[in-house]
Amino acid sequence: MEKYMILAPQKENGGLFMQPVIQDNVAHIVYDEARAAQPLKTFLLPPLDEVVGKKVQAEKPWLFLGIKACGLAALPILDQAFGGDFTDPIYQKRREESFIVSSDCTQPWETCFCTLVGGQPYPVKGFDLNLSKVWDGFVIEVGSLRGKTLLEGHDEVLKEVVREEATALEKMRNETTKKVEEQNRDFKFEKRHREVVSGNWESEVWERHSETCVECGACNHACPTCHCYFLDDVTRKTFVKLRGWDSCMYSGYAVTAGGGTPRPRLYERFRNRYFCKFKYLDDNYGMYGCTGCGRCIEGCQGKIDMRQALKDLVKN
Amino acid sequence: MGPQNNPYQSQKAVIQKIIPETSGIKTFVVQPESGFSFHCGQFAELSVPGIGEAPFAMSSPCFKSEQLEFTIQNVGYMTSRLHAMKEGDIVGIRGPYGNGFPLDDFYGKEVLLLIGGVGFPPARTLIYSLLNEKNKFKRIILCYGARTPEDVVYKYQVEDFRKKIELYMTVDKADKNWRESEGVVTVLLDKVKVDLKNSAAVVIGPPIMMKFGTFKLLEVGYQPKDIYLSMERKMYCGIGQCRHCMIDHYFICKDGPVFTYEQLKNFPNIWE
Ligand SMILES: Cc1cc2nc3c(=O)[nH]c(=O)nc-3n(C[C@H](O)[C@H](O)[C@H](O)COP(=O)(O)OP(=O)(O)OC[C@H]3O[C@@H](n4cnc5c(N)ncnc54)[C@H](O)[C@@H]3O)c2cc1C
Ligand code: SF4
Ligand code: SF4
Repeated sequence: MEKYMILAPQKENGGLFMQPVIQDNVAHIVYDEARAAQPLKTFLLPPLDEVVGKKVQAEKPWLFLGIKACGLAALPILDQAFGGDFTDPIYQKRREESFIVSSDCTQPWETCFCTLVGGQPYPVKGFDLNLSKVWDGFVIEVGSLRGKTLLEGHDEVLKEVVREEATALEKMRNETTKKVEEQNRDFKFEKRHREVVSGNWESEVWERHSETCVECGACNHACPTCHCYFLDDVTRKTFVKLRGWDSCMYSGYAVTAGGGTPRPRLYERFRNRYFCKFKYLDDNYGMYGCTGCGRCIEGCQGKIDMRQALKDLVKN
Repeated sequence: MGPQNNPYQSQKAVIQKIIPETSGIKTFVVQPESGFSFHCGQFAELSVPGIGEAPFAMSSPCFKSEQLEFTIQNVGYMTSRLHAMKEGDIVGIRGPYGNGFPLDDFYGKEVLLLIGGVGFPPARTLIYSLLNEKNKFKRIILCYGARTPEDVVYKYQVEDFRKKIELYMTVDKADKNWRESEGVVTVLLDKVKVDLKNSAAVVIGPPIMMKFGTFKLLEVGYQPKDIYLSMERKMYCGIGQCRHCMIDHYFICKDGPVFTYEQLKNFPNIWE
């Protein structure tokens, strides 16, 4: 365990935040409930990172506790974006070495909508171990060889899951799923998101829903799949290249030397974010850029709700 | 982790020579420390150490990898620092990136290049490649437009090109010594007769010029699949990650910069 830097969701001002685990806060770890505020990219692709100049070998690998299904669902996008033809060795190292212990959701946030985008509030893949709180213990699911190895030699605290426990787990999962479905009843539609968005290039919805946007970029920065970045060459003691989170909502995002930009108006940038999530990323990586985590709704200064925008597009 | 497997790491290159082209454009001859092979139409990320990095097309022949040329307009933060550099100074270079021109598509055809302003650098690389296998192409026609006679790049090569390819030039505003056409580059298309069934057109230049150039080619009778565009957008990574250069789902840096108009014609705002 000393091998890892452990991060786990902990309560603070009514929210859940990924915090380093130290001796005296182990008791405050919240395994279940709902996703934490920070997405995993915060740690795998930090907001400002040295991509040239840093000695990444010196970093301790992460051990994440209490990651939810919507967090795991975002990783294949980052893996494809930062793997593939030009693998980012820093991301790859952090990703390969980090150990993920996920957990079922039990008390989804009001903004959660994983069930609308093909997800479910409990992890089914992408974890090393999954812990589901049942009664006074955990049902542990092994998701990788590393997960299996970690459990080896701990037989004194492990026992086979009995039928009653399996039934209780299933019941709990169904209940949480129902809860998410229920709170999103008004936002549900049958049409595929891809068609809803790409069939609506011209729509008053873009202008109407972006009216209250203040271009803060919170929707991008909070999102577990958004990964646009800028690069910056700076001279510290020696020369370094920094990579920082960018936001496609910023007016300067795509401005070139002549001052031109393909999306000068705010509603165009707003629309682009939806097109990116439900068309472009689907074309690039075969999956939507939205896992339904609700962070962009929660963090929006303009109280913009993606679910409502999508629903209004369907109505058109 | 060596530089060879860190895609963000540049190699060093020495500026060997700086050729002034116009008042705002210079050609930099650079020698990368450990060689740099590329295909014509590809580009590199050049950096001024500690200042910044930007994408530029190579303008030298792609069969020469030990020495590269870049023709660069001074337009802002990074390019102004670059323009202030001297022979012997060190820049960073990483790449090559992008797909480059599909020369195979051009074999046996009349190749028409419609080039505006500082779109010439990648076009010059293409011309070198075409001349290198000259007998494989039916015709090589260059239509080049600049704002004024002073803005013409590679003036010292014009006479040589004229001997080897069909060359038409125009400027928006002529002076009394100008012997060629006057008007925007599309006026040159009225002078050239091509065999439309067997021709490919390449368009490179500022966005507006590319837009009207493409429309003119369509008007003349070119098919969208026979019009090749070298696109430019804001770009940081050059490697299909940062997403700044996207046109719809295409990465200009990776899927492009060369696209046929057929590929892009249904997307809105491609010229901005
Ligand atoms: C594939 C490709 C090939 C290019 N080839 C050439 C060439 O051969 N010669 C030439 O003079 N110019 C070329 N450009 C344009 C050149 O990259 C810009 O002029 C340059 O980035 C301006 O940088 P700056 O810092 O001086 O300008 P600033 O306006 O200060 O730009 C700040 C930052 O914005 C970005 N940026 C600004 N304008 C552009 C732009 N037009 N395209 C992409 N990124 C931009 C850069 O990341 C730059 O660091 C090319 C662009 C692309 C995409
Ligand atoms: S778009 Fe919003 S709800 Fe979807 S994954 Fe990103 S932050 Fe979560
Ligand atoms: S979080 Fe809301 S206000 Fe901020 S940029 Fe996104 S849509 Fe606009």
